[in-house]
Amino acid sequence: MAREIKEPAEVQEPDLLPAMGLFTILIPLLLTMTAFSKLAIVEINLPERSMMNMSNDAPPEPDEQALNLSLAITDQYVVIGARGGFQPNIYYKEMWSFRCKSDNQLVTYSPDDVKATVAAGHGPKCKDGSEIDKEHYLYQLENIELWYIDKTSDEDPGRVLWGVYTSHEAGVPDSILVDGNNSFLATQGEGNLGLNPPASLKKPGAGVAVATLTPNSARRLKPEDAAKLIVYPLSAYDEIAKELIQIHTAFIDLEDVDNIIIVANDDTQFDKVIALMDRAKSAGFTKINLAKLGG
Amino acid sequence: MRKMHKYGKDVPFSLTSMMDMMTIILVFLIKNVDTEGQLITQAQNLILPVSTSKVQPKEVSLGITVDNQYVVVDNQKIIPTADVLAQSDLLIAKVDSVLKERRQTEQEHNLKAGLPADEAGNIIIQIDKNIPYDAMYKVMATCGFSGYTNIAFAVLMKNGGEE
Repeated sequence: MAREIKEPAEVQEPDLLPAMGLFTILIPLLLTMTAFSKLAIVEINLPERSMMNMSNDAPPEPDEQALNLSLAITDQYVVIGARGGFQPNIYYKEMWSFRCKSDNQLVTYSPDDVKATVAAGHGPKCKDGSEIDKEHYLYQLENIELWYIDKTSDEDPGRVLWGVYTSHEAGVPDSILVDGNNSFLATQGEGNLGLNPPASLKKPGAGVAVATLTPNSARRLKPEDAAKLIVYPLSAYDEIAKELIQIHTAFIDLEDVDNIIIVANDDTQFDKVIALMDRAKSAGFTKINLAKLGG
Repeated sequence: MRKMHKYGKDVPFSLTSMMDMMTIILVFLIKNVDTEGQLITQAQNLILPVSTSKVQPKEVSLGITVDNQYVVVDNQKIIPTADVLAQSDLLIAKVDSVLKERRQTEQEHNLKAGLPADEAGNIIIQIDKNIPYDAMYKVMATCGFSGYTNIAFAVLMKNGGEE
């Protein structure tokens, strides 16, 4: 007798409605607790009035053994001073990077170019050809970059230095690479003012030992990390960070080795002051004071 | 003659794709959820500078905001930023009077609660990244003069706080 072939039973979908109800409750709850941009604080302590010398007595003699480190920023250069002397100026070219809403890409222009474009009735141009709103372009300013300029005197226009950077996002620099002698993997750019990347600067390949300015960061490059390296204009902030680390290490025995005064002129944007404070803290200067140039 | 389509059964409403979407949203939100809560919230009309700092405020403090238009103390517009930049004096009188009033209230509250009243006041300043140093310095000096010498600047964490 032939066996009867059974028809397969209809597949029953699980009842997802209770799970949907749960998700609908959870999502608004989590939305209220979510932080999309995390905030932190940078602390600074002012001297308390009770600690200030209010009398008319002559100020105490400066301690000649103290480091008295200061970091001054003007609209053209940054300079480190200590014990009444100054190191060579670190000249920079200021550049503004905007994040375009239309294509989410970064575009970089000099402030003068941006101001001239806006004065002509346009906004800075994005890579896709669209324009950033000329009324609110400053709200799309993502980074104020200071490109290090290698120059010998005030009259010398100098040339932009380019370095090899790690990168988390395509085309956006993260940390500068240094070699075994703690020297940047960097060289002067080509073309007018060195604004084009130098062909002679080669990115290290996989397996090469490199480090960043962060302590104990020496490592051999993995192939996936080597592929993400970019050649980008060397930041004046990185040069300052390197020099501050060297100073803090060299004078570690001094009593005021953790103190630094950041001095800026009236027009310096707040962003630059915070960037300098970041570099000083990373180098080990925990007591940061602020002062005005000529004030 | 046009052929008529007949539907013998009701077409079931499939929730599977909706479930997939909600699961992705749920995982994303759980990843970004801040269980400790935020003691500061970013003010409107300004962009904070990005910093490598990961220090979180330990307690709720009085807040000052400086954007392109106004200096705001505790959500109250006090003086236009342009006026601050125009004045030559380091002390911003209008801000100083508000801060002194607040400081006095704090000290009285501390005395009633049996806490030391002569400790330095805490203040968190939110300043737009493009504000000139001159305005920042005057606000900071005014805070110090009013007794708020523990000053902290609010910043955005670099890479959203991820390594």
